[in-house]
Amino acid sequence: MVLPVVALLLLASVLLWLIHGSNLAVGEIETSDQRIALATLIERLAVDEETGLRGYQATSDPRFLEPYHNAAAPMAQAVAQLRSMATATPVHLNAFEQQHQLWHQTFAEPLIDIIGAGGQTRDIDLNITGRARMDAMRAELDTIVNNSEQQRTVRIAAWKAQVRDVITALVLLALFIGLSIGLFTRDRLKAVSAAFRKSLDLQHSRAEALFRSEQQLRTTLASIGDGVIACDANGRIQMMNLVAQELTGWPEPEARDRPLEEVFHIVNETTREPSENPAAKVKRLNRIVGLANHTLLIRRDGSEIAIDDSGAPIRNEAGELTGVVMVFRDVTIERKTRAALLANEKLAVAGRLAATIAHEIHNPLDSVSNLLYLLQQGSDPEESKDFLRTAQSELARVTQISRAMLSLYRESKAPVPVDLKAMLEDLLLLMERRFHDLGVQVTTELPAEITVEGFPGELRQVFTNLIANAAEAAGPGGTVTVRVTPRPAGLDPSGRKLEPGALVEVIDNGPGIPPEVREHLFQPFFTTKGERGTGLGLWVSQGIIRKHAGILTLASHTDPADRGTTASVFLATKPTIDPGGD
Amino acid sequence: MENTSHLVLCVDDEVVGLRVRKILLERAGYQVLTAADGHSGLELFATHPVDAVVLDYSMPGMHGGEVAKKMRQTKPDVPILLLSAYVGLPAEVSALVDVYMTKGEGAPALLQNLCSMLSVPAASQSR
Repeated sequence: MVLPVVALLLLASVLLWLIHGSNLAVGEIETSDQRIALATLIERLAVDEETGLRGYQATSDPRFLEPYHNAAAPMAQAVAQLRSMATATPVHLNAFEQQHQLWHQTFAEPLIDIIGAGGQTRDIDLNITGRARMDAMRAELDTIVNNSEQQRTVRIAAWKAQVRDVITALVLLALFIGLSIGLFTRDRLKAVSAAFRKSLDLQHSRAEALFRSEQQLRTTLASIGDGVIACDANGRIQMMNLVAQELTGWPEPEARDRPLEEVFHIVNETTREPSENPAAKVKRLNRIVGLANHTLLIRRDGSEIAIDDSGAPIRNEAGELTGVVMVFRDVTIERKTRAALLANEKLAVAGRLAATIAHEIHNPLDSVSNLLYLLQQGSDPEESKDFLRTAQSELARVTQISRAMLSLYRESKAPVPVDLKAMLEDLLLLMERRFHDLGVQVTTELPAEITVEGFPGELRQVFTNLIANAAEAAGPGGTVTVRVTPRPAGLDPSGRKLEPGALVEVIDNGPGIPPEVREHLFQPFFTTKGERGTGLGLWVSQGIIRKHAGILTLASHTDPADRGTTASVFLATKPTIDPGGD
Repeated sequence: MENTSHLVLCVDDEVVGLRVRKILLERAGYQVLTAADGHSGLELFATHPVDAVVLDYSMPGMHGGEVAKKMRQTKPDVPILLLSAYVGLPAEVSALVDVYMTKGEGAPALLQNLCSMLSVPAASQSR
């Protein structure tokens, strides 16, 4: 950028200098012209003087001398002027003046004097002298004019050359400026074009990235294992992935722009009432919603599948809701697996209980069979009486155990009143042997008349599980306390509203549960008992208590001073049974 | 039924069962020592010239398997009969004793097992 400007300035100054030179040349030409003019004027004046003198000579009339006298002053002035601008010509001017003076002194003045005196002026010599003087004067003036003209010609040539130079310079300058502008413009154009190309490239790459990310998103959605349906803000379907199409039975092209509830027709599993339109629910709550449990999806062909689903709002940059995305999956197999696991745990519990019961029955049976053998072998009446009494009491023990066992798996379809005291006492009786083996002391605080509604078999399973856990945790020399307390309606520590009911606590003074184990307690297949446990006990218990609309919590301390675990089960007196709770 | 005067140690936490078993074995001609748990059983085993042991499996504090193990460590030649109300005991327990039987199999079976156990001199190697 700087170089052209400097060059331009340089050229402009060169041009200026040339124009200045040209001006000077013109001035000098004018000077030459003036000198020619002055020399011509002087010559004419000299002619005037001579003409006047000739007239006077011819007529002797002094009036004819007027031009002669009048020429003197302008001639002196012209000579002075010419002298002032003289450069190389003072020699000729001096010569002229000298001749002029000589002419005056030697010819004109004497002639005038002669004529004035009335004399004759026909003297040839005098006239020849005068004429010679005048010729010399003219010669000098001609030289001056010639010199000046020569000078003028030279100067004009010089001026012409200068003008040519100026034109050349102008042309060069114009060319240079044109070139500079051209180059500069080209440069700018290049820059603009580069910038344009760059932004174009950027646009291209952005568009490509966008396309790729969209492709990726599409592929992800298509290959995701869950059904995905996206709706606009009005709940009209915009997109469905393959799984969603398979689960609903609606191909995407047909489903598009239809209201969600028409394609995604869901009802409650138990009541068969239509569930709230998930899109509407998300819109209403404006947040992610897990949809109601136990939802059945009614497919296009009328068949039904159990699903788990959730809905989430789609927001634009301003945070406004622009749509809803639904994610759902078929949980039929999961349900079946869950049911199988529950049955398995029930069997395991039953199996463990059966072993306990077998032990409980085998012991008295052993005594009875031994006593019968002794009686068979023959003994005295006193002894026989004693044997019979003992056998009788042992059989009574068997009966008691078998009764407790009978009530254990008598299951009803509807919830029935359960006397907590009676139920827990039965359980503790059946488990007495286990406590004995473990060396655990069991104490109870069981007030009578605490009844809750529920499924007795399931509640027994829960309490057997909790009490067995507590006994194992307490270990030899430990104690387990089973306590039931009535609970009036109120609020729990977390502020949740509680219905009236009962709190069953199973407290042990075992080593407590380490925090890292505590968080896994309610997970299926988590066990600390190795092969002796199924790892399903607490998970199933949790499910049963939930079904009873109750709350099962575990609190544990590992601090040696105050160690132990408390399992608390809250059961409402009249719970709203959640049939899907297990 | 040989009328020997072998000394048999019975260990069981079931009071009634233990009492009846003692009478049964005494009628069969054995001298009987009884203990209500593993610890006192081991004590008697150490201090008396016991010829055979009838051991209950499930007992508080120390189960029959542990008691049998300790007995084997001090007097490996004394035959042990393990009685249990449970079925399906761990293999390492049943391998430790000479005879393993379930409660309720009846008095004749018990007497038969005890007798045959005592009549084999190298009883501990018979398993």
